Amino acid sequence: MRKIIYSLILTISCLAFSGVYAQETYKIGAAFALSGSIAVYGEGFKKAVDLAVEEINAAGGIKGRKLEIIYEDNKSTPKDCVTAVRKLITVDKVPVIFGPAASSNFMAAAPVAQENKVVMISAEGAAPGLTKAGEYIFRVFPSDVLQGKGISDLCLRLNFKEVPVMYVNNDWGMGLKNVFVENFKKAGGHIMDEIPYDEGKTDYRTELIRAIKGNPKAVVNLTYIKEGAVMFKQAYEMDIKVQWICGSAAKSPKLIELAGKAVEGIIGTYPVFSQETKEYKAFRAAWKRKYGDEKIPIFAEYNYDMVYLTAKAIEKGGYTSDGIRKALIEVAKGYRGVTGDKTFDQDRGVGSEYGVWTIKNGQIVDYKKD
Amino acid sequence: MSSFFLQTIFNGILAGCIYALFAIGLTLIYGVLNFVNFAHGELIMWGAYFLYFLMDRPLNLPLSIAFLPALCLTILLGLGSDRFIFKPLRKASRLTLLITSLGLSFFLRNGAQFFWGAEIRTYGFEIKRGMKLFGVSITPNQLAIIVSSTLCMILLYLFFYKSRMGKSMRAISDDLELARVMGIPSDRAIQFTWIIASFLAGLGGILLALDTNLHPGMGLINLVKAFAATLLGGVGNLWGALLGGMIIGLSENIAVLLLSPGYKDAIAFGIMVMMLLIRSSTIFWPKE
Repeated sequence: MRKIIYSLILTISCLAFSGVYAQETYKIGAAFALSGSIAVYGEGFKKAVDLAVEEINAAGGIKGRKLEIIYEDNKSTPKDCVTAVRKLITVDKVPVIFGPAASSNFMAAAPVAQENKVVMISAEGAAPGLTKAGEYIFRVFPSDVLQGKGISDLCLRLNFKEVPVMYVNNDWGMGLKNVFVENFKKAGGHIMDEIPYDEGKTDYRTELIRAIKGNPKAVVNLTYIKEGAVMFKQAYEMDIKVQWICGSAAKSPKLIELAGKAVEGIIGTYPVFSQETKEYKAFRAAWKRKYGDEKIPIFAEYNYDMVYLTAKAIEKGGYTSDGIRKALIEVAKGYRGVTGDKTFDQDRGVGSEYGVWTIKNGQIVDYKKD
Repeated sequence: MSSFFLQTIFNGILAGCIYALFAIGLTLIYGVLNFVNFAHGELIMWGAYFLYFLMDRPLNLPLSIAFLPALCLTILLGLGSDRFIFKPLRKASRLTLLITSLGLSFFLRNGAQFFWGAEIRTYGFEIKRGMKLFGVSITPNQLAIIVSSTLCMILLYLFFYKSRMGKSMRAISDDLELARVMGIPSDRAIQFTWIIASFLAGLGGILLALDTNLHPGMGLINLVKAFAATLLGGVGNLWGALLGGMIIGLSENIAVLLLSPGYKDAIAFGIMVMMLLIRSSTIFWPKE
């Protein structure tokens, strides 16, 4: 009998304690790619989120309560993304989740969030249909509808009227490719060949050979960092000399670290925001203080903005998913973050301008036609 | 056009060499111990990471010095996995062994991720343009892949057909019990099998990483193809593994020129299934 009473007391005090603990912080779920094929991105995103959370908490948190991120590894696969999001919803009971990177992974998990009426935000998903799962799904990153046109315009501006297009064979690659091809053909361009390729391979030599059949002057390659690094390296080794044109997903110092001089001179489009604003300068300074370098990983700024917007939405709308959902739209209206204006459109996405980047002497710089 | 084709053939041979190096290790373990070692892919990956470890700070060893110790470490890892995991399970059912090797594969992959993180790494050598030979470009790394896999095949042949240990391994592969009855030291032969399989895995991993990059999933991706090559060549058959690797490497690369490259894997596995269906009438199974 005594044993039972003791254990009851123990259980109750444990429960009470955990209850108190749960009251202490505002928890936000983050289903990030911390392992698997695109973990190279995930680690950078986590750093950016951690930086923003640290700043918000140092400034007193939200109405005195601290923000806490519960990271869940999505292993870079759609299946594990669903598992991770489901775990965050059912076990951790968070009202808002920072969703997985890679559009196909995000889109696999989005219906789960929507069904459970939990807000899910993407800071790097670019597929045109990313938020179509419903009103709980947001993105703080511009859609590829804009970028596809940007790449097409770039090709024509550089006078490349005939190009083959290579792309990663998934939702993101295919979506961007389709928008690009549509715009390019409409503008009078000719697509020489369409070459999809799988993620995560170590050998793309023959795909490259096929791309340069017919001696194109330029090849559009909608690639990620890892695949891009392997491809450009192998293209360099095989002495393939074409102008590579990429999207934004390859724009990273990591690409240069992996592929060295093989990526010298490649160009690509990317959603731009001014690096001269006080918000951006403050972000860069904060990054340097925390991490000791200025190697800001790709899309870190969007993740950083996402945390601030979410914190503002919790503050305004309260710590419930419906509160956050409604407040997000209000707090974002006219909000100027590191990545510029974050006002949501009717599809709960944001707009952007597109710039052109290139790699010169091992540095990513803005492209200027010489 | 013909140089395109030659280059494609060359790419296929290159991929085939890598698949064959992995497939031989897989097939050896299968032949002697009668189970598919799914952790073989992780031996490949750890081989590459051992070299990275020796060449990175704080050791900073040059490639020529770090190469052999990295291979030795891989062999130790292979021997260790046998001593502590597979040896106690020697009498277990094949299914148990299969699941165990799957578990070990996850363990080793996550282990590498724990030490080095999930990001991609390189050894940091400068990239060089390949030499041109009949319109085909070849880099020193690729030459190393082809030369060392050829060398390995020759040495393996000599070992299996000329040396006493090689002959006893073949005997065990044919029939473990009978070999024991005939007084063949099975424990030593099994150890030797692990040494050879791990050596090939380590070598293949290092060559692959030199040619491309390092990441924790690098073994797994190529193991699937190596597994197909093993099946294609007939499990337990050394030459079959080589031939299987070459067939898969060549066919998937040639197919890329003709069909949409999105189907690269489907083609490799389609060929595997087809060959299995017409298995009895092929030349790869001289034993049966």
